[in-house]
Amino acid sequence: MSAHVLGLLDELLRSPKNVAERVQRPEDLRPLVVSSLLALLMGAGTFGAVLATARGGAQIGYSALKLPLAVLATLCLCVPAFTAIARALGRQLELSAMVGLALSAAARAALVLLAFAPAVWFALDRGLGYHGSVVLSALCYGVAGLSALRVMASGLGRDARGAAILVCCAAVLLPTGAQSAWMLRPFIGRPAQAKVPFLRHKESSFADAVYTSSRSSLGLYSRRPQGDAERAE
Amino acid sequence: MTDEGNVMGVGVIGLSRTESEPLAVSASVPKELSRLASGLGLSAVFGLALGARAGGLGLLQHALGAPLGLLMVAGVAAPSLFVRLSLMDAPLRPTQMVSAVAHATFNTGLVLAGLSPAMAMLVVSIESAGAAAWISGLGLALAGGIGLSCLFAELQRSIAGASLLLKSRVFMTLAVFTVLACALAARAWRAWLPLLGGAA
Repeated sequence: MSAHVLGLLDELLRSPKNVAERVQRPEDLRPLVVSSLLALLMGAGTFGAVLATARGGAQIGYSALKLPLAVLATLCLCVPAFTAIARALGRQLELSAMVGLALSAAARAALVLLAFAPAVWFALDRGLGYHGSVVLSALCYGVAGLSALRVMASGLGRDARGAAILVCCAAVLLPTGAQSAWMLRPFIGRPAQAKVPFLRHKESSFADAVYTSSRSSLGLYSRRPQGDAERAE
Repeated sequence: MTDEGNVMGVGVIGLSRTESEPLAVSASVPKELSRLASGLGLSAVFGLALGARAGGLGLLQHALGAPLGLLMVAGVAAPSLFVRLSLMDAPLRPTQMVSAVAHATFNTGLVLAGLSPAMAMLVVSIESAGAAAWISGLGLALAGGIGLSCLFAELQRSIAGASLLLKSRVFMTLAVFTVLACALAARAWRAWLPLLGGAA
């Protein structure tokens, strides 16, 4: 790994503002994108592998592959929307600059996940259960997401307009990222499962879960008639 | 009122020159209309993404339905807003209104087109129709909200020099317009987008 790439990784962690300035310069964009991709593969891949240590076996390799894939797929789907939102709200960012900015932000988040990996591994090794692992990983994603926000905020501007763009981008990113990750489940893997699947069968969705929960919170429960339920089984 | 003010197409509506201080008209009406048409065309891409859930004829139905909601607001609600603003002597030219509506429609279409890849993935992979409708409604609301904010920013610039009383009256009118525009667009999209419970 060249010193330049390591220098860029250092900059990603220490100076989001400099990174945000780099994405505006086409000559700086290529090395930044390469470094960010490396950081993303390394950070998210390692964290994915660590999450799967409770299940072990092939799940470790699958999760190491799927977590960076989920992040990259989310970025591919969201960056056009980010660019359109920024332009509509008066920030003239090129698509290439937005790609660089979003990728850098994701890379910073991945490096934060890498920092959490030893602690998570220790917790899993000490017997943290499946549901505890889910909560712990969600907390790690939350903290990593906040660190990514600093890069995005630096690139979009630290004023009311920048904040509005950031909120709109988050409104696009959250459901898209959640559904992408939902489709690529499992990442942790249930210990009781005899065989490790690469992907689960298509069942429900993240939005379905939110939709059902929100209806339930309003006291609206949809139950199938007993006959239907028996036939479904 | 000056002679110029009596001509609907170019004049200042019911205001003296000192009070109005209108913005320079940035572009010609045909150019603004083509911008509006581009916005409608871009929103059709979002419709295609929604139609990917049903496929086949659904693609066409949604591609036509998505721009119709915008057209309802641009073609029905915006002229009504202009008439109300003119009646209260707001310093706004018809060309400025056309420009503001065209910009807002274009920006709404741009955001909808940008949302299309993510929306296509979401509506195709989400199992329940209710959740798919909910998420596509969120996309339309986000883009519509951005479009409205663009419209208000344009209109706000044109009344920057107006009195406080006039500004507050314009604000109230815009608030009513917001409710009306949201209701109209929602009604149109519910009627013409099968995914949202329309002509399924």
